[in-house]
Amino acid sequence: MQEHVLELNGVSKHYGKFTAVDDISFAIPTGSIYGFLGPNGAGKTTTIRMILDILKPDKGSINILGESCALNVRHRIGYLPEEKGLYKKMRVWAIISYFATLKGMDKKTAKSRAFELLERYGLKDYAEARVESLSKGMGQKVQVLSAVAHRPELVILDEPFSGLDPVNQEVLEQLIQDMAQEGQTVIFSTHIMQHAERLCDRMLLIAKGQKIFDGTLADAHAIIPRRVTLECQGDISAVTKSADVLGAIERFPETHNRAAGSRHWELQIKEQADPQKILQCCFENNIALTRFDYTQPSLHDVFVHLVGSDAREHSLR
Amino acid sequence: MRMMRLIAMREYAENVKTKGFWAGILLFPLILVGVFFFQTMLAESTPTRHYLLIDQSGQYGEAVDAAIRQEQQRRILQAFVDYVLANRIAANPEQTPARANAQIDQFIDDVGVDEVAGLDQWLESGGLDFALTLATPYLREGAPAFVPPREQFVLAALPEGIDAQGDPEQIIEQLRPWLTGERPLVVDGQGSNLFALILIPAQVNTAIVRPGATALAADSTNNGIQYWASNLTDTRLPNAIERSINSTIRNNEFITRGVDVQVVRNVQRTRMPLSRLDPRKAEGQEAVSVADTFRQWAPVGFVYLMFISLMQSVQYLLSNTIEEKSNRIIEVLLASVTPLELMMGKLFGIGLSGITTIFAWLLSFFLFIAFYPGTETELLSQFFSVLLSSDLIPYFIFYFLAGYALYAGIFLAIGSLCNTLKEAQSLMMPMMMILIVPLVTMTFIAQDPNGPVARIMSWIPLFTPFTMMNRAAADPPMIDVIGTTIVLLLSIALVLWLSGKIFRQGVLRTGQPPRIVEVLRMLGHKH
Repeated sequence: MQEHVLELNGVSKHYGKFTAVDDISFAIPTGSIYGFLGPNGAGKTTTIRMILDILKPDKGSINILGESCALNVRHRIGYLPEEKGLYKKMRVWAIISYFATLKGMDKKTAKSRAFELLERYGLKDYAEARVESLSKGMGQKVQVLSAVAHRPELVILDEPFSGLDPVNQEVLEQLIQDMAQEGQTVIFSTHIMQHAERLCDRMLLIAKGQKIFDGTLADAHAIIPRRVTLECQGDISAVTKSADVLGAIERFPETHNRAAGSRHWELQIKEQADPQKILQCCFENNIALTRFDYTQPSLHDVFVHLVGSDAREHSLR
Repeated sequence: MRMMRLIAMREYAENVKTKGFWAGILLFPLILVGVFFFQTMLAESTPTRHYLLIDQSGQYGEAVDAAIRQEQQRRILQAFVDYVLANRIAANPEQTPARANAQIDQFIDDVGVDEVAGLDQWLESGGLDFALTLATPYLREGAPAFVPPREQFVLAALPEGIDAQGDPEQIIEQLRPWLTGERPLVVDGQGSNLFALILIPAQVNTAIVRPGATALAADSTNNGIQYWASNLTDTRLPNAIERSINSTIRNNEFITRGVDVQVVRNVQRTRMPLSRLDPRKAEGQEAVSVADTFRQWAPVGFVYLMFISLMQSVQYLLSNTIEEKSNRIIEVLLASVTPLELMMGKLFGIGLSGITTIFAWLLSFFLFIAFYPGTETELLSQFFSVLLSSDLIPYFIFYFLAGYALYAGIFLAIGSLCNTLKEAQSLMMPMMMILIVPLVTMTFIAQDPNGPVARIMSWIPLFTPFTMMNRAAADPPMIDVIGTTIVLLLSIALVLWLSGKIFRQGVLRTGQPPRIVEVLRMLGHKH
């Protein structure tokens, strides 16, 4: 088995003058759950389409399951596109089985596999229903199932969570974890950082067609220094001088009660630093704390930090 | 190959499940049955039409009466022949209802006004019964009895208070409520609308137009025979009356000029037969039969069948592609199959449903003919047997498939560029106009199958399947057959290749349909 199911080297794609994907390189290890993150219009879908050989890159090379072209290994790939759609008139089991046969499964196996999946993920009662009678969320679940029914080695899901209610989001998370457990590699793109945080071994962050980050969750967390928030009266210089503290910034949050004379500080601390020691340091120096907060930065913070003003600007457009 | 088959099978299976498909299949036999059913029903249920006759001249009333009698005799005889033909044991393909009716027409037209009464007498004294006894050995068992048709035009009595000898203008004024249908006539205690009024003024003879004399247009209409009727479409009655009165006038002319009427009549009935012969047929069988005429016209039927089926298929192809595109299914499909496999799969699947429709139509046609025997269907069944037994079938299969491949390629490309049917409509417009051309020129080409227009059109690939099908029965020159086939096949390959390119790029497009320049750029694209 290869080490990487997928490798991109310097891949670019232009639409006229617009650069959708700009010189992206990354590799996805076999058997991992890989998050594909980025703001709207970052180039996620274009990248995915190039990986699947639906679009041809203008520059760079792609190696997928040991082949240079996804077409040759398309039976080993499962794909859920960003914009979901199914044949409205077909029955639920038939559509799952149809897409599985298009991936090379024989008809009989495909049919029993369809029923098996429907039963396992709570859609057994709808097996004979027509797709048009399903709710949007259910339809989406059916589509996810039809994308993975043929047990692909590599599963690519473009925004699989959008439009699902929390219960179904959990079902989908379960499905992704089930697949990973069976040794399948799963790539999914998302906006919702909690999913990535819960599921991903590694993640790739792109914005404006460029790679911004590629690494594990721990790597991501390391990008933003850990922070301690203090609210107190008087001087805190004794604490900031401590070796664990990288720097201190005074903040003026609107909720903060300035009349009482207390000040609001945000301290950035070292990776290995122990927040307990900082608290201890405060006591030793008789700093009257009204608040002490230690927070691990969330992936959301990392995302906003990395994408920064660009993303905000983009979302306002 | 397997992918293509899977896609084709799904397209076919889904298409066959749609209501539109069944509507298309069932509509044809329904229309067929409906048309014949209505025709028979209408013929049987036409109400008796009452007319008024005011003959102030006292000279032509008899002629009008004879005309109406004659129409009735014609109907009785035609009904009789139809009856015999429908119920005879062995069918003679040469003796078609159309031919028999033409013979009866000829016969009736030859009958002079003074002889009408004779024929009437013959009918009344059981002439038909005698004919029926003669025909019985040739009729199949259990044939229903012959029922002669009812009289269609019946003379009604003039409503009270109207002076038949009064001023014509005044008579019309008085009768106007009846003529416009405001007041019904009372015939045998029942109300009935007045169908027509025939008014022959006293001075009608002054309106006779003779050669050399200048026709006094305004005057002659005033003094001539007046036919008043609000029904403008049924012209049988006025035509018959005009013919009959003219014949009477001419007879009178002959008498005044001292010509023997019997001689004239004999001269008028003298005729020379004309046989139509076909030099291409074997010696002794050159006579052009009905079947031959059918064979000449059969291609028109095929062209029409081709046109309808093609229209149906390509439209479905188009809407189906657009549905997949707007549903975003296309992207999933493209992750599993190549655009070419997808395109060809669609092409085959929907082509197959088109062929199914044709077969279903043919089958229903057969069943219809088998279970609905009658003189009307007999003509159809003959046309049909000629159609099927002829050597035209291979032509039809080839040109149908070729035409389908050509147009399907184009319509698939159009479908791939549009997100909604509305968008597709503007792109489809020129194609529809092109498709109409073979339909418009269809009869013209059948009449002059090797003429310059037919030949030129044969070489235009978009028209080749239709035009060559149209000419198939007329032995077109070899160069045309082989040459156009080569051009056609090359064009199909080119169209499929190019539309494959457009399809590949078009299916993933979103937003407005592209401008011409963009389409050209797509064609030039290397991938």
